[in-house]
Amino acid sequence: MLAYNTRIAIKSLRRHPLLTAIIIGGIALGICASTTFTTVRHMYARDPLPGKSEKLFYVRLDNWDPVKAYPDGGLVANPRKVPPSLTYRDSVELLRSNIPVRQTADYVATMAVFPEKSVSRPYTEVVRMVCGDFFAMFNVPFAYGRAWDRRADQKAEQVVVLSHATNQKLFGGGNSVGKRLQMNDRQFTVIGVLAPWRPFIRMYDPTSNFTGEPEAIFAPFSLTPGMELRTSGNSDNWKSLPTNPTYQDFLTSETDFVQFWVELRSASDAPRYQRYLDDYVRGEKKSGRFPRPLNNVLTSMNETLADLGLVTPQRTAMAAISVLFLLVCALNLTGLVLGKFLARAPEVSVRRALGATRVDIFLQHIVECELVGIVGGAIGVLMSVGVLRWIAKMQATTARMSPDVEMFAAAVFLSLIAGLVAGLYPAWRICNVQPAVQLKV
Amino acid sequence: MEIGPITRAMMRNKMRFVLIVLQIAITLAIVTNAVNLIASEREKVQKESGFDDENLLWVWSKPYSPAFKDRPYQVSVTQQDIRTISAIPGVRAVANTNLRQWQGGGSSGEVEIAGGDGSRFRTQMYVATPQFTDTLGVKIISGRNLRDTDINEDPNATTSPVIISRALEQLIFKDQSAVGRAFKDGETIVGVFDKFYNPYGWPIHEYAMIYPGYVARRGAPFLVRVQPGQMKTVRAEIEKRMLVSNEGRNVETKPIMEIKDQYFTDSRLIINAMTGVIILIIIITGLGIVGVTSFSVTERKKQIGTRRALGATKSRILSYFLMENWLVTNSGLALGIVLAYGLNYLLVTHTSGVKLNWHYLAAGVVALWVQGMIATLIPAMRAAAVSPVIATRGV
Repeated sequence: MLAYNTRIAIKSLRRHPLLTAIIIGGIALGICASTTFTTVRHMYARDPLPGKSEKLFYVRLDNWDPVKAYPDGGLVANPRKVPPSLTYRDSVELLRSNIPVRQTADYVATMAVFPEKSVSRPYTEVVRMVCGDFFAMFNVPFAYGRAWDRRADQKAEQVVVLSHATNQKLFGGGNSVGKRLQMNDRQFTVIGVLAPWRPFIRMYDPTSNFTGEPEAIFAPFSLTPGMELRTSGNSDNWKSLPTNPTYQDFLTSETDFVQFWVELRSASDAPRYQRYLDDYVRGEKKSGRFPRPLNNVLTSMNETLADLGLVTPQRTAMAAISVLFLLVCALNLTGLVLGKFLARAPEVSVRRALGATRVDIFLQHIVECELVGIVGGAIGVLMSVGVLRWIAKMQATTARMSPDVEMFAAAVFLSLIAGLVAGLYPAWRICNVQPAVQLKV
Repeated sequence: MEIGPITRAMMRNKMRFVLIVLQIAITLAIVTNAVNLIASEREKVQKESGFDDENLLWVWSKPYSPAFKDRPYQVSVTQQDIRTISAIPGVRAVANTNLRQWQGGGSSGEVEIAGGDGSRFRTQMYVATPQFTDTLGVKIISGRNLRDTDINEDPNATTSPVIISRALEQLIFKDQSAVGRAFKDGETIVGVFDKFYNPYGWPIHEYAMIYPGYVARRGAPFLVRVQPGQMKTVRAEIEKRMLVSNEGRNVETKPIMEIKDQYFTDSRLIINAMTGVIILIIIITGLGIVGVTSFSVTERKKQIGTRRALGATKSRILSYFLMENWLVTNSGLALGIVLAYGLNYLLVTHTSGVKLNWHYLAAGVVALWVQGMIATLIPAMRAAAVSPVIATRGV
């Protein structure tokens, strides 16, 4: 029956090629627009680490000015009015806790890299300073070797993990574990090489360039004081440093620049860790630090990203507008299909008179609309893949923008719904046509 | 004229017109909100920085040689770089500064008037060599510019002359002059410049305070202003000459316009995408109107023929269909105005979007009116061409 209905649907569609093209084109455009802009929004809104993110928590402590709270609406939104990063000294203290299963303090530093002379001139590179747990926490994939362990963290061992591209550049690819690399005035040993890794959202650093590429080199956070490293990312301070500050002044200052993540056994451990944070800050208050009222924020990864306003109002507005656009396309389809079907009343009446039931007629016409919906939807999805590529190119991002399984399923679903919604009324009208009236000559 | 019969005829075929009314209404809601979105982004993109952005080049010396650990060495290389860059034909001015425009951020801090009421003002703060104003193309409007002799390399110095932007002067000193006034942290204002605009995360886009000095601790950044049309040659020459003068580093250059384009990619995406949506939706709705009116003409051929046979002129038939469409369009637009505000209300309350400007709504109404008329005209003319003979055929 379905095959038969499909066959007459195709016949009917081929009888009016121009009308069919307009109808299918309309649906295709609607599906293309809605898929594209909901995908753009979805790429920012979706969970960056499904199954993992609810156990990852971002730590913010309010060490700001007693007079004024940390302002809202900086580079990123900040509804909780708390600095987005921690000081070095607090990070080091918090790392002592054994409540989290894993934890990492991290920030970026610029270092001079000295490759073999035959490879390239020395150059400066942004290195992310992290704890060994970082890689397991954020599901960072390794091609060779592994992350360094806690002992290496404690002993501030000179080890590095290279990105896939950096390994290509410095050592021509392959297993480079054990090779040596000079950075600043120190010799490092390569302990791991990553597989190609390009998350759309750089979820581990909610303070800057969300859609940037992960860093080229990762080194132990604990090397900071020994190498006298400073951040080359964002830093905040409400107090000025002493005139002519020494490096030690900087490390013990209230300058916030460290991102701090913990992985808890489960989300139910969060209150316990929150108490730990509050106790820590209360202790520090005794020595005159943390002059503001207690405001320590422990947020899960998704809460953190939502807090920082990754999904901008414009992205939501575009997604909403594009879905309405699809609705207009469906209404358009309904109008055109209604006219087309009713013009066919005499033909349908003959079928009815020869014994076809109303259900038969109804199904015949619904199938025709669904066919239009599916073909239009398929064209629309293909078009949106192209449009998304163009958008990625325009944004000069190296990230791939394409509908994921969820968005693809949504597009298929929407095109079926569009066909159904658009066809329902016309099909109902045509199956209710009185054959007697039409057949009278 | 024929409004009575027209509406009665429409009531017999409600659904068809309801569809068009809904389509027009949603179209109006989409078009006006899309235009609104475009307008608010365009405003951002078109905001003038007050600087000679087209001719500015950002240059960054990224040292790796250990010799750069030493402050006197950093400063002497930076001074030498300024001389090297100035000597390149096509260069108008160069400044060593940590200002890099169009990143949505930079460096900022708070100031408090010495002996004032204790209120503090947040402002962008940058360090620069005195050529800063010439490089950006901004003017000193009162007091004096910074001088080379203002630069103090003494690490224990506690005071410094500064220049501030006109907007900051107005914010802090209202209508008084800022020249000669001092801030609590030891800055004395020696001059005021105009104008300054660098979009910042916090609403301090137009406030700036410039300290005299060299920025060279972790690499030295420069802004270079070139003669119009000389960007390409100067850019290539700078990289070459700077490496010749000191090879313990790498040099990176980028025209400010590239940085600006990057900063506005989201805005341009919104503008392009929403423009596309508007054009497409108007075409689709137009085709919808053509289609539905065509069917209704085909269906009523016999009635049209009868009217013609009874003496109606072609223009009466034409105006009948135009009138019918006009009624449909108007109901659509009336509903559309409500929907447009409704959609905007949702966008404003749920996503802190921008409030709808009624000008766009009015423009949208007029556009859809015109579109409705044009879309009806084609099938209506076919209706007018129906021969009266048709009335005599069939039953």
